Amino acid sequence: MSLKKIAPALAVTVAALLGHVAHAATLSVAATPVPHAELLEHVKPVLAKEGVELDIKVFTDYVQPNQQVADGHIDANFFQHQPYLDSFNKEHKTKLVTVGLVHVEPFGAYSQKVKDIADLKDGAQVAIPNDPSNGARALLLLQKQGLIKLKDPGDILATSRDVVDNPKKLKFRELEAATLPRVLADVDLALINTNYALEAGLNPVDNALFIEGADSPYANILVTTEAKKDDENVRKLVKALNSDDVKAFIKDKYKGAIVPAF
Amino acid sequence: MNFSNIDWLLIGEATFDTLLMTGFSLLFTVLIGLPLGIILFLSGKGQMLHNPAVYQVLSFVVNVLRSVPFLILLIVMIPMTRVLAGTSLGVQGAIPPLVASAAPFFARLVENVLRELDPGVSEACRAMGANSRQTVLMALLPEATTGIVAAVIVTAIALVGYSAMSGVIGGGGLGDLALRFGYQRYQTDVMIVTVAILVVMVQILQVFGDRWVAKLNRK
Repeated sequence: MSLKKIAPALAVTVAALLGHVAHAATLSVAATPVPHAELLEHVKPVLAKEGVELDIKVFTDYVQPNQQVADGHIDANFFQHQPYLDSFNKEHKTKLVTVGLVHVEPFGAYSQKVKDIADLKDGAQVAIPNDPSNGARALLLLQKQGLIKLKDPGDILATSRDVVDNPKKLKFRELEAATLPRVLADVDLALINTNYALEAGLNPVDNALFIEGADSPYANILVTTEAKKDDENVRKLVKALNSDDVKAFIKDKYKGAIVPAF
Repeated sequence: MNFSNIDWLLIGEATFDTLLMTGFSLLFTVLIGLPLGIILFLSGKGQMLHNPAVYQVLSFVVNVLRSVPFLILLIVMIPMTRVLAGTSLGVQGAIPPLVASAAPFFARLVENVLRELDPGVSEACRAMGANSRQTVLMALLPEATTGIVAAVIVTAIALVGYSAMSGVIGGGGLGDLALRFGYQRYQTDVMIVTVAILVVMVQILQVFGDRWVAKLNRK
């Protein structure tokens, strides 16, 4: 086949490719494999219909996704929660911003003694994890339920010593996070990470008295740069991730292990 | 070093918890381990009440309990602890697993102390017509007192160490404080103070124990 013969064919192909690019913009998103990349895969066909080609780049590291977005190599990322982003921005002097909340692995409060927090008696024993981030997360959830007040209401490293208002005089027991489901019978209330709860046969949606919701600071977020936060394609992705369809998908596929944060 | 993170009230409470845990566990450990050690000795080969079946079973149980890592014992015993202590949490919840771990250890030490005694002592007792109970109470135990006291001290110190792990079940104590604040929250000052108190505690136990043993030896 001579070059002359294929030239027109090549021209057509190039034109087609250019035309394709013109109306199907590519949006690259860095994500961790589960559930982030799975959720993105789920919305990929929806976005394709709207003319956005989603390019999912899977990472298993927590620094590169932010670094690549900050450097402009990738458009957005989806793997972290706000407290992590805040500390990353501070440490790396980046200005990444949150454009949408997607899901949360809800921290839940479980009890074998009471069915409702209103029934929690004075001096009740409350078990919380003993490590800094989970312990504080448990206290923040109790604060949100109006059971306690913390010295600094947004302190993501609070300990039981930072409780300033405790009307029910709750007694805190700080234990190893993994032990909490085992001692549930001994306390009035235990605040348990979803992974440990699920392994112990407790389901956050069905068994917890209350769980973190959309307002949880630990909701997983879609992040991009200041410059791209109003980008049309980024907006389309946020809209797709916050759709009823994704809500149903999360409920169906993860069965309470993660809940929608929108 | 700046000691700004130190909450002395908390340290005081933790010290008290460690003393409570160690003290009560030691009491039960001796109550259970001493008879267990004596039975192990008596049922052993060539002894007064030689009984291979009893010896093998007890010895096996002792070995099993001694080989389970304390951290695991703490967790697998939770349902039993709940029955024995009323709760699996806190100082109370830490005592049954501490005893379960230390009593077999102490029993072995007691068995060894008794084995080291001159066999002539019990032979003489038997020759004079004493039964086994009399031999044990009148001859063996008095002879073995210094060794047993030394074993109690060794066990007490081991218990101080084990009690540090009880934080897993909210046992409190100095080890828990060192772990939660010193290690997890990088409050080195808390780590130093708690470890220093533990060192002092162990020193006091050892010095006091050695003196007690020396006094018994002089008699």
